[in-house]
Amino acid sequence: MSTAPKTVQSKDSSLSEKGLKAGSVGLIGAVVIGVSCIAPAYTLTAALGPTVSEVGVHLPAIFLVGFIPMLLVALGYRELNNAMPDAGTSFTWATRAFGPWIGWMGGWGLIAATIIVLSNLAAVAVDFFYLMLAQIFSNPELGELSKILPLNIATTLVFIALACWISYRGMETTKGVQYVLVAFQLLVLGWFAVSAFAHVANGTAFDATAISPDWFNPFAVDSFSQFAAGVSLSIFIYWGWDVTLTMNEETKNPEKTPGRAATITVLVIVIIYMTVALATLSFAGVGETGLGAGNPENQSSIFAVLAGPVMGPFAILMSLAILSSSAASLQSTFVSPARTMLAMGHYRAISPKFGKISPTYKSPSFATIAAAIAAAGFYVITRTVSENALWDTITALGMMICFYYGITALACVWFFRAEAFRGARAFFFKFLAPLVGGVILLVMFVKTAMDSMDPEYGSGSSVGGVGLVFVLGMGVILLGVVVMLVMYRLRPEFFKGKVLTRA
Amino acid sequence: MRYVVGYTANARGHDAVHLAVALARNHDVSLDLVLVIPEDSPFNAVYPPEAGYNDILNEQAQRWLDEGLDLVPEDVTARAHIRRGDSEAQTLIDAAMEFDAAALVIGATNSGLLKRFTIGSVASSLLHSSPVPVALAPNGYHRMEPITRLSCGFGTRPGADELLDVAVESARDRGLPLRLVSLLALDGGNSPGLADAAWVHAADRLAAVGSPAVGGSAEAAGSDVPEPEIVVAQGRTIEEAVDRLDWEDGEILLIGSSRLAQQRATFLGSTANRILRALPVPMIVVPRDYTRQSS
Repeated sequence: MSTAPKTVQSKDSSLSEKGLKAGSVGLIGAVVIGVSCIAPAYTLTAALGPTVSEVGVHLPAIFLVGFIPMLLVALGYRELNNAMPDAGTSFTWATRAFGPWIGWMGGWGLIAATIIVLSNLAAVAVDFFYLMLAQIFSNPELGELSKILPLNIATTLVFIALACWISYRGMETTKGVQYVLVAFQLLVLGWFAVSAFAHVANGTAFDATAISPDWFNPFAVDSFSQFAAGVSLSIFIYWGWDVTLTMNEETKNPEKTPGRAATITVLVIVIIYMTVALATLSFAGVGETGLGAGNPENQSSIFAVLAGPVMGPFAILMSLAILSSSAASLQSTFVSPARTMLAMGHYRAISPKFGKISPTYKSPSFATIAAAIAAAGFYVITRTVSENALWDTITALGMMICFYYGITALACVWFFRAEAFRGARAFFFKFLAPLVGGVILLVMFVKTAMDSMDPEYGSGSSVGGVGLVFVLGMGVILLGVVVMLVMYRLRPEFFKGKVLTRA
Repeated sequence: MRYVVGYTANARGHDAVHLAVALARNHDVSLDLVLVIPEDSPFNAVYPPEAGYNDILNEQAQRWLDEGLDLVPEDVTARAHIRRGDSEAQTLIDAAMEFDAAALVIGATNSGLLKRFTIGSVASSLLHSSPVPVALAPNGYHRMEPITRLSCGFGTRPGADELLDVAVESARDRGLPLRLVSLLALDGGNSPGLADAAWVHAADRLAAVGSPAVGGSAEAAGSDVPEPEIVVAQGRTIEEAVDRLDWEDGEILLIGSSRLAQQRATFLGSTANRILRALPVPMIVVPRDYTRQSS
């Protein structure tokens, strides 16, 4: 029997270890990751209709313009991520820059945006799930099942619960699956565009509309309100693109891969968005009847309506592409609000319960379940109140992204204010780009918020004479303020700056 | 000699530490508690990107390991390690190879809803691939006193003799009484003929591996350890046969296994799984062709 004393734990893991496989991602891999974060098939079906309803044929122009603030803010995001890698991202950075109150709201905005997108992803997945059943069994009645409210809500909750469970178990989408998903999405979207143009050429399009240079002119949009709404929606379609910029050690060539991958991702995405947007407009026009892209009936999920007439029997591939990409995104998107809540719990900005990690699966346990409950709750409320839940959640989501991304960008400017004028590189990446991007996003946020008070805004749902989008967007932010004040009473140490100090 | 303990900060991990301590006290063994945390795949496409979660996870893992070390009494040497890997089982095997460990000790079951009826996925993958013996602690194993008796599950499959070698040698090294256990599942009720045949077979094999005579009154050669005992247990199912045997609190069952691609489906998939389900004491699964290091 040994009598040797117990030795002290040997620390053979260094804290600098990031937990990511170093050097495992090449250029193509990084582009695949970038495209999969955007999930173009899902984003297009969700955002194309609402954007057309605001800007009509100027859709291509808005899609191009919407990329600019996204790019500017992403550059600032990258600087913050390099200087202060932290699970709390926007929450931590805004706290370090502006103090606990704004930091807390930044974190809340990020959580709210990801929760909203979770419920929208689940809803889109459910729609296409039933649509696919209808296509498989050639029975359109099955597709109508998704319109039965209790069944729709029940199925969506099942999807959310499944994704939550997978995320809780720490299961991840593997490289092979991700390559297939991305290739499949791009292939099907390309197919859709080619078929649509073929119909236009053959004279079999619903409302063949000739492409005009005017479509690319953002200044031709009727009003600033519509322009702001369009831009805040197109922020959503690029949300995810910048993931490649923040990749470092995991790439095979940290010097060059992230920048090149980001550029290629943007090119791929812009090309596919432009092609599909032009194809949709040329095929269907912006008329408000039938298959027209201006028909409010079609706008919540454009491919659900157009894929059949455009692709014929192969429309089932579109359903499959959207279902698979939104299901994969649903699972990976769960990670984000869970980790932000975990970080906020860790820094005592909310209950430390949120900081719990599952001993078995090593994933944020309490926070993942909380995210699922919040997403489910948000969906049930929106679906019950709104005439068109998908549409209104996407519009509210655009607002929320503008809000937290705007705060993050300005946090970058303020955090690096001392180094901003040390050379041209610092001036551009740490000051000018995030400043301009952040200001644009916050202006879009304020403008959209004001416009959305109109009961006719978005899908035209309203609560007490105020537009539903406003109620959803501002309601969530106000709820955040209330929760923050409660937290201030319960755990003042964070709000007194004792946990995370201002830089 | 070193044992690698697959540690998790839950009941399963505690069971493993308890068993490892019990085993270590029979022998001059030091323990290496290994906590595996997953390696993030960038292809999971998490957005918005963040880079700090792993710092929090590492901090938590350090605290968990401190708790794990606290479970180990003063007289046993223990170290703790954090390892990263996609597969917990593979990472534990890598650690065992790196430390040149004589065994891997883990808790058999997850403390899930169906805990009595399932072997955890980690235990299951280890049983199918580990190149070193795997000691499985049953759910709720609290004992930390030294092991008091070694049982050896004995069958007629190829490899039984090698297992018997290991068992006889281990018992001798640790000064433990050895018991050979033959489990018979008989659908048609009791069958004295079969049981006798199993007994005779076991006695033959025991004699063949050079153990002192069995069944007689001969003194065990060169040792004061009692001579091996042979027991044939039968029941309608393996579980019932296991239930009918008497087990000491400090007992441990040694059982043979086939490596991946060698009968694993037939042996580990059914019999070992079923034994473990019913077994009230820990079990050590010895890989096929495993030759014990001289200690």
